[in-house]
Amino acid sequence: MAPGGQAGGSGSPGSPREGLRDWIRSACRFAADRSDFRRNLIVNLGLFAAGVWVARNLTDIDLMAPQPVA
Amino acid sequence: MGNVLGPVLVLHRPLRREEPLTNPGSFDELHRKCKEVFPQQMEGVKLIINKALSSHFQVTHTIHMSTVGQSSYHFNTTYMGDRQLSPTETFPMLVGDIDSCGSLNAQVLHLVAERIRTKAVFQTQQARFVTWQFDGELRGDDYTATLTLGNPDVLSQSVIVVAHFLQSVTSRLVLGGEMVYHRRPGEEGAIVTLAGKYTALKWVATLNIGYGGAHASYYHRANEQVQVGVELEANTRLQDTTFAFGYQLNLSQANMVFRGLLDSNWCVGGVLEKKLPPLPVTLALGAFLNHWKNRFHCGFSVIVG
Repeated sequence: MAPGGQAGGSGSPGSPREGLRDWIRSACRFAADRSDFRRNLIVNLGLFAAGVWVARNLTDIDLMAPQPVA
Repeated sequence: MGNVLGPVLVLHRPLRREEPLTNPGSFDELHRKCKEVFPQQMEGVKLIINKALSSHFQVTHTIHMSTVGQSSYHFNTTYMGDRQLSPTETFPMLVGDIDSCGSLNAQVLHLVAERIRTKAVFQTQQARFVTWQFDGELRGDDYTATLTLGNPDVLSQSVIVVAHFLQSVTSRLVLGGEMVYHRRPGEEGAIVTLAGKYTALKWVATLNIGYGGAHASYYHRANEQVQVGVELEANTRLQDTTFAFGYQLNLSQANMVFRGLLDSNWCVGGVLEKKLPPLPVTLALGAFLNHWKNRFHCGFSVIVG
């Protein structure tokens, strides 16, 4: 009886791949946890930085400029 | 051999103009430029009639037909004295606002001396005093110091004391702090907050940070038509953070101002204000939508005078 195929590289529980998978899983859980204060602070800090970048780079527009003729 | 390094050691410094330090203003106005960009929440129908009875006295009637809460009528009076320090500052100033339920909001602002200003604020909810507050502010050439007493009560031995200090360090940098002390029977505590503000030619960045949280704001004036404000607030006591992005579009040729808002509570909104010359009338239309709570409200107001 041929042994059942296993996904390559799973190895033992203490292997680096298992550790990386657990780390990614906990990072995704942290990123999706809306009730976590630190997570919300990091997300809002990133949004603040993005907002400042948009304000400094994308807002210099002339609203009364004539429309380009097609 | 002489001093061969002599010419090298003579540093040619560019001539540096010392910009004079100016008064940094009051602590409460640190984030004002950014806050003015954001639209005010509007719901229902509002009619505001402003009437200047003389150069010193102005009255305002406000009728608000609300879709959310109770409709109300407000009567507001403003008395401005003779001493005008700037277009927006006149002393003494007395402001009173009373609504149809009998709740009163009154303020008295007075310039006691050249550099000392005082303010008294009273708020009642029908027959009960809710707030009584006394401010004293000292404005120096390059600093402002303020002391506020909030709801001082000798009988119950309770008080809230707020002290502010702002110092212009350079012509662009202002640093300062705030200390809030509260006392009630069986409880007292204090919180200290540090503040800093940097003003550049086209932008202003402000930060308040302390044990209770942080408040950061960034204001950018892109050109004569576009202004943008970005705000971040974090409250460690409520374990809550909020981000908001607002913008203001001024089209003076069209007598129109539009303010838009987007924030981290999934709220999107905007208010359009249009003047209707030659009539002294301004029409404002506003709508706000909270995607997360699935709530929408809109309103319009007519401002006469």
